[in-house]
Amino acid sequence: MSDLDKAIAQLRACRPIPEAQVRELCYKARELLIEEGNVVGVDAPVTICGDIHGQFHDLMELFRVGGDVPDTNYLFMGDFVDRGFYSLESFLLLLCLKVRYPDRITLIRGNHESRQITTVYGFYDECLRKYGSANVWRYCCDVFDYLALGALVTGASTKLEATGAGFAESYPQNSMPADDLDIEIEILNSNGDIMNRFPRSQPQAPSTPKPEPSSSPILGTPARTGPAGTGASGSSSGSLSNDGGAVLCVHGGLSPLIDTVDKIRLLDRKQEVPHEGAMCDLLWSDPDEIDGWGLSPRGAGFLFGADIVKHFNHKNDISLIARAHQLVMEGFKEMFDSTIVTVWSAPNYCYRCGNVAAILELGEDGSNGGYVARSNGDAGRKAEREPRGAPGRRYRVFEAAPQDSRGMPAKKPVADYFL
Amino acid sequence: MSTPQLPNLLDSLGTGRGRGRRRGRGRGGLGENHEDNQEKKDRVVQKTDEDASVSRMSAVEMGYLDDPFARAFIYDPPIPRRYPIINRGTYVRTAAIDTLVNKFLAADRGAQKQIISLGAGSDTRYFRIISKDPTVKLVYHELDFPTNVAQKISAIQHTPSLLAVIRSTLSTPSDLQITAHALTSPTYNIHPLDLRTLAIDPSTSAPPPLPTLPHLSTGAPTLLLSECCLIYLSPHDADSILATLATSLIPPSTPLALILYEPIRPHDPFGRVMISNLAARGIHLQTLQKYSSLSRQRARLRSAGFVDGQAAADVDFIWGRWVGEAEKERVAGLEMLDELEEWVLLARHYCVAWGWRDGVGEGGGLFGTAWEGVVGQEGNDEGEGID
Ligand SMILES: C[S@@+](CC[C@H](N)C(=O)[O-])C[C@H]1O[C@@H](n2cnc3c(N)ncnc32)[C@H](O)[C@@H]1O
Repeated sequence: MSDLDKAIAQLRACRPIPEAQVRELCYKARELLIEEGNVVGVDAPVTICGDIHGQFHDLMELFRVGGDVPDTNYLFMGDFVDRGFYSLESFLLLLCLKVRYPDRITLIRGNHESRQITTVYGFYDECLRKYGSANVWRYCCDVFDYLALGALVTGASTKLEATGAGFAESYPQNSMPADDLDIEIEILNSNGDIMNRFPRSQPQAPSTPKPEPSSSPILGTPARTGPAGTGASGSSSGSLSNDGGAVLCVHGGLSPLIDTVDKIRLLDRKQEVPHEGAMCDLLWSDPDEIDGWGLSPRGAGFLFGADIVKHFNHKNDISLIARAHQLVMEGFKEMFDSTIVTVWSAPNYCYRCGNVAAILELGEDGSNGGYVARSNGDAGRKAEREPRGAPGRRYRVFEAAPQDSRGMPAKKPVADYFL
Repeated sequence: MSTPQLPNLLDSLGTGRGRGRRRGRGRGGLGENHEDNQEKKDRVVQKTDEDASVSRMSAVEMGYLDDPFARAFIYDPPIPRRYPIINRGTYVRTAAIDTLVNKFLAADRGAQKQIISLGAGSDTRYFRIISKDPTVKLVYHELDFPTNVAQKISAIQHTPSLLAVIRSTLSTPSDLQITAHALTSPTYNIHPLDLRTLAIDPSTSAPPPLPTLPHLSTGAPTLLLSECCLIYLSPHDADSILATLATSLIPPSTPLALILYEPIRPHDPFGRVMISNLAARGIHLQTLQKYSSLSRQRARLRSAGFVDGQAAADVDFIWGRWVGEAEKERVAGLEMLDELEEWVLLARHYCVAWGWRDGVGEGGGLFGTAWEGVVGQEGNDEGEGID
């Protein structure tokens, strides 16, 4: 067993690795990351994940639900650290996996992968507590500076391949679509049972109002945070290809300074996350029900409306933006006619919020004999273009892992309340 | 006013007397076990004050609150830093109650007023009020368990600036009487009292005598505060304590109001996790199910006799509507909130509720005037309360 495999085994058991080994790991990771562009190209199939926030046991649950590395190709959209009790183990495990299987896992930067934020939100204190010095925190922060800012997933299919999954008990019997229907969205629970499905609306058919998908019957209560899940896209316009178009993944969202994916590629990313500017916006912004751009109440980044997303996607030949950054009680939330989705992968966030988590699987388009139409997000390559159907989306929804289930250290986390 | 001492409540804490329903149980066996358990539970409740004072200190250190007195009541330094979201919540809680209290004190300014703080713990409000305006005509009473009171008094005795604030309100220094167990004066009083001794069932044929609270005014317009206190009592006790206060200790002819600050909305996912997380610490939010929504809090105030006005708002609403733009900008600029959804979620699960009765004669209408224009959150959220 190589040292790296040993480190992976140790971290999987939620035990930190020695400082010297962290140093070496971070060095290797940097060597690897420096070769990646600001926007990493990723081929489908891929499983896209949102915020983790040091919830190590829930990350293990995520791997159980989504499959292990390297069997499953993963893309993590940042915010590995802070808030949870095991930021260190979570981030180092992901980093080890990155070094061990560089083509099977992609890590991009979140707003918490920053020196300033980690000193306020826990990762710095955790490193100090676990190693007695800030060295490990410094090594990790150096790696943060090399993380890519985004990823572009290509070759995703509009069709969802059957998983052979059964139907969950909660599955609405009367709404089960016929098997030959083109399923656009499928929602599975953590056992892999289908909780809900949504067919793609037919090209010329008058748009029939779809049932509003509620992604998480397991929550047991009606969503209080707005419409759960999706208003599945009716934007398929009969393109014969199964190519679902490119999916842009960023942690936060868009920036008024960025109108093409190529402009992201031009940024100088190897620095601490700045307080403003394009790089800051990509990591901090949020979609919102507004027109155009708005000030963000977070104090960094911007709010952007449906018009901004639709224009950006059209201009860059992108069918979907996947982003993380915002807690959604149901684990995921599609907005703006499914042109953007928020994926949140930290269940019961901060051991307090009571939310479920989700990951998003995009299948591979095998229809061209495996040939992947490279859509690089180049602006204006094709002047007139049929808008593509969004890729088929399979969401796997899961709850927080029972804390004491796997013989791992399970210090009972104390969430703060107002007493 | 003469100052008859309280029945010896310290002695009553551990054994014998205490809650009426305990009396008559035999020694040993079930009874004692029950008492041990009760004491254990009480200790957990008493310790919640530490959470509150540490949160206060954290908010002060980060510049959210201006409170030079908070540090004197930190018994176990160094204080852990709270997350920005908690600091903001502590800020809104304090600012909201301050708003209502200050409007009460400002109304009919020359008239004598009274504040009774239930489960006051290490609260610094009295010192903040007086240090701003030593001439305010106010008698302030704090009630808490003897243990908490003893700790607070000891801190006061060791802190000259606190003593100076109290003395600044007195005409003769000898008006201030401090023992290890109680502090009394014509302006500031800390009474050792298990509030449950006030939970007297009025239908009992021979109700136990009421504890006497030195310097309690029966005629001055009076504001009751329960900042995260009654929530820890059983619904029955919480209700009858209010009934005793509003009828026996303060006669119905006296204008009386109550401000509550406590958690709400126990039935959604956040609420359910809150209940189980706190239960794991031995903390039980006993009235939460009964007073689970803003609507239910308003109804509670009405049936507790605060018939002339009732209003309530959650902390999210108060942050949005009560805090001025400039102040909001100042506070938001202190620390960056990384997660706004989390803030809204948390802030929707705490509320301030306030209600009043006018009493009769002079001073009538005082609360209505004082709190005119303070916006409550309208609408029926009963559905959220009961799921
Ligand atoms: C969470 S602390 C709040 C302290 C203070 N009101 C504040 O907001 O900073 C609750 C306080 O209520 C007190 N308390 C709870 N039950 C009580 C009872 N039965 N009798 C007296 N005090 C009680 C506790 O001892 C504790 O000091």
